[in-house]
Amino acid sequence: MKRFWCAFFMFWPILAFYLCWIAPEMNWWFPSNGPTGMKAASPIGARIDDLFYMILYITTATFVGTQIALGYVLFKGAAMTDEGNEEKVWYSHGSHSLEVIWTIVPACILLFIALYQMDVVKEVRVKTAFPEATKQGTVILAEVTARQFEWRIRYPGIGPDGKQLPYSPQPQPTDIYTVNELVCPTNIPVTIILQSGDVQHAFFLPELRVKQDAVPGLDIPVWFQASKSGEYTLLCAELCGWGHYKMKAKLVARPEAEHLAYLQELARRQNYDGVPEAPAEVAKGE
Amino acid sequence: MSTVNPAIGTEAGHGHAEEHGHGDGHGHGHHGSFISTYVFSTDHKMIGKQFLITTLLCLMVGGALALGVRWQLAFRWEAMPFFGQLFSAQGGQISPEFYTMLVTMHASVMIFLVIIPILAGAFGNFLIPLMIGADDMAFPILNMLSYWFMWPAIFCFGASFFCAGNGAASGWTSYPALSALQEAAPGSGMAQTWWLFGLTFVGFSSMMGSINYMTTIINMRAPGMTLFRMPLTIWAMFITAILQSFALPVLTAAGFMMVADRMLGTTFFIPGGIVVNDGDPTVGGGQTLLWQHLFWFYSHPAVYIMLLPAMGMVSDMLACMSRKPIFGYKPMVYSMAAIAGLGFIVWGHHMFTSGMNPALGMTFMVSTVMIALPSAVKVFNWIGTMWGGRLVFNTVMLNSVAFVSMFIVGGLSGIFMAAVPVDIYIHDTYFIVAHFHYVLFGATLFGCFGAIQFWFPKMYGRMMSERLGKLHFFLTFIGFNGTFFPMHLLGVSGMPRRYADPYLHPYLEHLLPMNQFMTICAILMGCAQFILLFNFFYSRRCGEECGRNPWNANGLEWTAPSPPGHGNFESVPNVYRGPYEYSDPNHSEDFWLQTDPAKSKTPKTAH
Amino acid sequence: MKDYVRTTVDQKFGAPHQIRVWDKLPLKPHAAVATVGEGSKDATLSVQVSESNRDIVEGQEVAWIGGTTMPAGSAPVTVSSFDKEANLLQLVSAPATAAKPGDKIVIGPGEVLTHGRMLYAEHCQHCHGTAGDGKGPTAQYLNPRPRDYRKGIFKFTSTKENIRAHRGDLGRIIEEGIPGTYMPSFKLLKPAESAAIVEYVLFLAMRGETEYQLHRLLESDYSEAAIATRVEGGETRDKILAEFVTRVKEGEIDEEATARTDKMIGDWTTAQDPESAIVPREKRYASDEASIARGRELYLSNNLNCVACHGEAGLGDGIQTYSITVDGETQKPNLEPGLYDTWGNKLKPRNLRLGMFRGGRRPIDIYARIEAGIKGTPMPAFGAKLTEQQKWDIVNYVLYLPHEPRTPGTGIAPAPATPAPKTTASK
Repeated sequence: MKRFWCAFFMFWPILAFYLCWIAPEMNWWFPSNGPTGMKAASPIGARIDDLFYMILYITTATFVGTQIALGYVLFKGAAMTDEGNEEKVWYSHGSHSLEVIWTIVPACILLFIALYQMDVVKEVRVKTAFPEATKQGTVILAEVTARQFEWRIRYPGIGPDGKQLPYSPQPQPTDIYTVNELVCPTNIPVTIILQSGDVQHAFFLPELRVKQDAVPGLDIPVWFQASKSGEYTLLCAELCGWGHYKMKAKLVARPEAEHLAYLQELARRQNYDGVPEAPAEVAKGE
Repeated sequence: MSTVNPAIGTEAGHGHAEEHGHGDGHGHGHHGSFISTYVFSTDHKMIGKQFLITTLLCLMVGGALALGVRWQLAFRWEAMPFFGQLFSAQGGQISPEFYTMLVTMHASVMIFLVIIPILAGAFGNFLIPLMIGADDMAFPILNMLSYWFMWPAIFCFGASFFCAGNGAASGWTSYPALSALQEAAPGSGMAQTWWLFGLTFVGFSSMMGSINYMTTIINMRAPGMTLFRMPLTIWAMFITAILQSFALPVLTAAGFMMVADRMLGTTFFIPGGIVVNDGDPTVGGGQTLLWQHLFWFYSHPAVYIMLLPAMGMVSDMLACMSRKPIFGYKPMVYSMAAIAGLGFIVWGHHMFTSGMNPALGMTFMVSTVMIALPSAVKVFNWIGTMWGGRLVFNTVMLNSVAFVSMFIVGGLSGIFMAAVPVDIYIHDTYFIVAHFHYVLFGATLFGCFGAIQFWFPKMYGRMMSERLGKLHFFLTFIGFNGTFFPMHLLGVSGMPRRYADPYLHPYLEHLLPMNQFMTICAILMGCAQFILLFNFFYSRRCGEECGRNPWNANGLEWTAPSPPGHGNFESVPNVYRGPYEYSDPNHSEDFWLQTDPAKSKTPKTAH
Repeated sequence: MKDYVRTTVDQKFGAPHQIRVWDKLPLKPHAAVATVGEGSKDATLSVQVSESNRDIVEGQEVAWIGGTTMPAGSAPVTVSSFDKEANLLQLVSAPATAAKPGDKIVIGPGEVLTHGRMLYAEHCQHCHGTAGDGKGPTAQYLNPRPRDYRKGIFKFTSTKENIRAHRGDLGRIIEEGIPGTYMPSFKLLKPAESAAIVEYVLFLAMRGETEYQLHRLLESDYSEAAIATRVEGGETRDKILAEFVTRVKEGEIDEEATARTDKMIGDWTTAQDPESAIVPREKRYASDEASIARGRELYLSNNLNCVACHGEAGLGDGIQTYSITVDGETQKPNLEPGLYDTWGNKLKPRNLRLGMFRGGRRPIDIYARIEAGIKGTPMPAFGAKLTEQQKWDIVNYVLYLPHEPRTPGTGIAPAPATPAPKTTASK
């Protein structure tokens, strides 16, 4: 019976390992719906994934090692109480050298993990380390205001030269407004100013590995870069009320020229005055 | 209650003035009424049992709330069977705001009414005086109050369920402005206020307990019980009490500030210009991040409060059931102290995405990564404890091994979150949920199940059923892993927490079958707990009677009668050695009571 | 009386899990409607599709309406494939009675409504309620309350005064949401899903109104309160009930009820007509200083009296907000001061300085509010009173207000030169 329990304790780590092994092909792994499949859809996302895998390998090795050790002690311990086994219990209060080893070695590994990722942290979070193209004052893509329970987005308008006007914290008559649909140019790092209209929300782009809480009272710059054109999921990742799950939105990345053209089209639609352009067009809600 | 049982190996007490061993704990010749013996008792053992039973019942309530959550995730918008009758106004269906309430109250009940009280209140109370050789706690009346303050807490949390919105609904973390503004969430009216009062009462209870434990452990140890001859359970309780007393006041202060914001018109946590529910914009001047800092300053040490006592108890149980000393006793003590100390400087890792200063974030990241180290050391030491031992495969051992096994997973998954960039992705996803359930349920709760089985004979003088214990363990373990392991995968898939309907989002639709599997496992796990309850209550009446030391363990508590009478010991015990002298080759038996004055041929002290 | 109402409504509309499609209603509940043409043989039908709401795909049921009816108990006829070019509908098996040219068939009967109902249950029901009464479990916590569809009135429409909402208006609300309220944007639903929800909402609106009209018809004579009064006046309860039964049997009640529902159906049908849409007769005037100044004058004029509700500074704090107002329907004064909508909720007039426009921020949307008012609220229609230029001036002023740099109440000098906002749509 005791061997049953030993096997029982070994069975589940093996099962867990197996589940994680087959997870990517079973689609229980990173989101794979988007244009880039299971790979992160932004350069920084790719680095985050690399870091994730590095930690995964280290922790898996530790997991396997400790579970094997646990399995060994269990089976051995069961054997000790078998009929006729005269082996004596290992009467030990510990081993100083072992303690030193298994303190120093994990400490080094952990320190390595801590230091290795500092670069990535800086690039994501520290404004002076943002990519040049996103520095405030040049191109801010939009102001994204999270509110219960949707994303209200305000883009600076398109100037006469066809380029986006500079962002202004005050709403301008030329601004373009959308709801739940954020558009951006592909492969260009852009910044949004994230705000909250009421309670805390979080701006989460799973495929791009971007997340930032929207804090009421703060204007937080968030930069990201979509590697490929297409549609990406945007949702809320901080409990904001009963509609927390309903804040379904999308990020649409288009090549830059198309992106500007789309914004112009939005501006045009926003200025629609109800008089049809062509006889065929009917002025119902467009 | 007790009869004096001359147990094997102890010195028969010289007639100490206190213990007459009457069958109902009259001890000093007092006549206790039913009220003073069973209700307003100042006896630490009775208080410990009161805590234990209360928390076990709250465990079932918290579990039921979780089943509601799981139901919605598996069979969204369908009427919940059986429990659905409780909210039949909605047709038994879980509506979105009800779901947020379930998530909030499940966590709140489990954390504040189950895990913290069961570890410190139930086991701390029962075991501390017994294990250190004291006759009661340093402040018995304060002890009684610490139990009785739980009831206003339970009442307040319970009242929260009956207010508009059916209960607080802004997460157990209760972030403002969702929790501070009355209109921001359905449960943010009176329900949230009751929740805050409940929190305050739990705080009082814990604080009283901590003061008691620290004082008792420092001042009332038996002669010969040096600090480094204390069992690890006591070390754990001691360190936990220090953690609790330093961290808790911050939460209480934050709680008062939030109550002031809600009722007195202050705006500590409310920025200006916010509009909720088409109301008037707030006047503001406060910051929501302030609450997060204050809350997590307590709540991070709180998670160690919810872990360390179980670690200590598991150490004792493993040593006993492996018939071996603890491997590395002093490193174990130091690592618990390190966990506690480091635990004070890592709270910001709950806030990596919150918008706080990134430089601050970096420092929290380093300290968080380092806190994995003492936990790792402990795991190695537990394995070392079992190494080469004659393992007894009973319920106690199974639960303790499960603790170690699950804690390995929980601890390792924590490292992912310590790395800020990875945390950016997995924060507020099910990866986090997996992590903390592995450490809180997989580790702590299994440790508690083992501890219940282990110390039940001391509490009630009877043994719990082994067969039922093993059955309970088997089903719970399978149910637990089936429910919570896939959450790691859900987290990597980017499934956010607290979502009433994640399948609204196309990238999560394919996760429904997995969630349904998890719900089935959760229901199995929930039902299995009835076996524990049955085992507990049945064995109180009909369990096999036992002597003082049914496990042949070393601690001082096993020299007292089962159950101990008033004053615990027949005479003041003297301590001659550490608590882990199992299988000493120079001793005739494979265990060696701490109170046995016989010297071994080669002097050994616990080191 | 209650039973009568309930049975009638259930007969016509069914229950959520078993919707009845009352074909009199101006809905588009089926996947497609077609007529069988010449050249049909056995399982292959040549069809002329007169109404197509969604694709005709394999597995959809086909039902005959009017004309030849399928014998009871015969197996349902399902589509195998549909050839759009050749207009050939291939059935899985030939119908029991051969199809004749001129037969009207319905493909995917009620499919749009059923789909709409499922989506409604998933997305809308917990606020708007199962019957569309705006009393779902979440509704009590929301301000403003979710729409109660049962009066058939929707606020933000593109149709003329006294005309109901166009389908497209409902679609727009679903897509864009209503800023400043808890109605979120459901932009991420597919167009077919949005359309299905719109049909179902219209269905609920018509159902609710039918029920409401029946109540109105009968309540003066046969409600519990009315019966009590009549009993006091000397009649016996049994006599009253007998009278009711007689009137029902003779069809008198039905006739009345039908007249009312016919009016409802007529109203809804008219609303979908392109003629009902608001089309400004002139293109929008440039939003320059002059226009904005004129708009401001109009806004402040006594003639239009915008300031009575919207306040002189446009903050939505006009004197009506704290006066006793008269209820539009009953013509009785309201008990509490302030403005109320037709559903009985207290209303705040729009604060025009926020830049938050619930019905949409396009110029045509603001124009529509001024032209036809906001139905169901005290916002009146000014279309008849103003010229096109005047309306556009007000639109320009309203759109300018959020960017007005002066604080309300300061200065009488004309507006400083603000950068001329982009106006008429580029071609």
